[in-house]
Amino acid sequence: MHISDGILAPEWCLVWFAIAIPFIAVGVWQIKRGTKESASYLPMLAMMGAAIFVIAVWHIPVPVTGSCSHPIGTPMSAIIVGPFPTVVLSAIALFFHVFFGHGGLTTLGANIVSMGIVGTFSGYLVYLLLMKVKSPLWFAAGMAGFVGAILTYIITALELALSLNPDSVLSHWVLYSMGFMPTQLPLAIAEFIFTAGIVQYIADRRPDLLAKKLWGGFSSD
Amino acid sequence: MIDRFTKTALVLMVVITAIFLIGAYLGYIGGHGMEGTDAMVEEHAASTAANVEATSLVPAITDLVGEPLGFTIAGIVAGLIVGYIWTGLFRRQEDA
Repeated sequence: MHISDGILAPEWCLVWFAIAIPFIAVGVWQIKRGTKESASYLPMLAMMGAAIFVIAVWHIPVPVTGSCSHPIGTPMSAIIVGPFPTVVLSAIALFFHVFFGHGGLTTLGANIVSMGIVGTFSGYLVYLLLMKVKSPLWFAAGMAGFVGAILTYIITALELALSLNPDSVLSHWVLYSMGFMPTQLPLAIAEFIFTAGIVQYIADRRPDLLAKKLWGGFSSD
Repeated sequence: MIDRFTKTALVLMVVITAIFLIGAYLGYIGGHGMEGTDAMVEEHAASTAANVEATSLVPAITDLVGEPLGFTIAGIVAGLIVGYIWTGLFRRQEDA
């Protein structure tokens, strides 16, 4: 989902930045609040930030398709530190990805929207819905990872189609989505496995560290 | 004496590395280029529009030192951060 500089039209770059900035602002506010509430929150954020940085740039070979791609890590982070702070972490990770040849500065807003906002909030919503119907924690977390990973790429395809093919957005959206899916489906399953495993592990060991407030950041209540 | 945490971390590292190597090897013997999907779809998308080409506004570290070394360094730094904090938050008392 790393769109490079030069691919998106300038007006679309601005649109995606305009969408991303309010989420980042709320995330920064929640991080400030969370660090005051608990001494464990800042180390958790640092850990999640480093994890997202690596997970979202780590190209895993998928031999069936003969290509490689990466998971996203943001649904896992949303469950652990909250969705809005995860947007901030993903923005920082995506900024540093630029210096590793992944993504771009002008397309940073678009990449934040796909991975940091849609990947985060879609996964977190699935997690909340499944927990509401008394699903096992590991399954709810895993499905959050799976859905977040898939939707991230569907939104990336939409971003490409909106900017590059304004006369035939729908058909190109489907086309680009289908281009991503053969590689992303196996990786979404991998995302299911590690998100389920890590969240269940933390819940077993330190349940106080999981974010609990709806849409909110950290709470040790 | 290797404690339980270190053993688990080492096993995970070996398993993940094995998955990567086996995946890459299977792709290699299948004659695939193992290109990144992001770049493949992006190139295809760019080809559908006029005068659109991927560029880079900043020099990438991986261009200077190569992807294997660049990502190895990044992985080590991020791994140290995750591992250091993880042990602080989750290490069992008996492992300390």
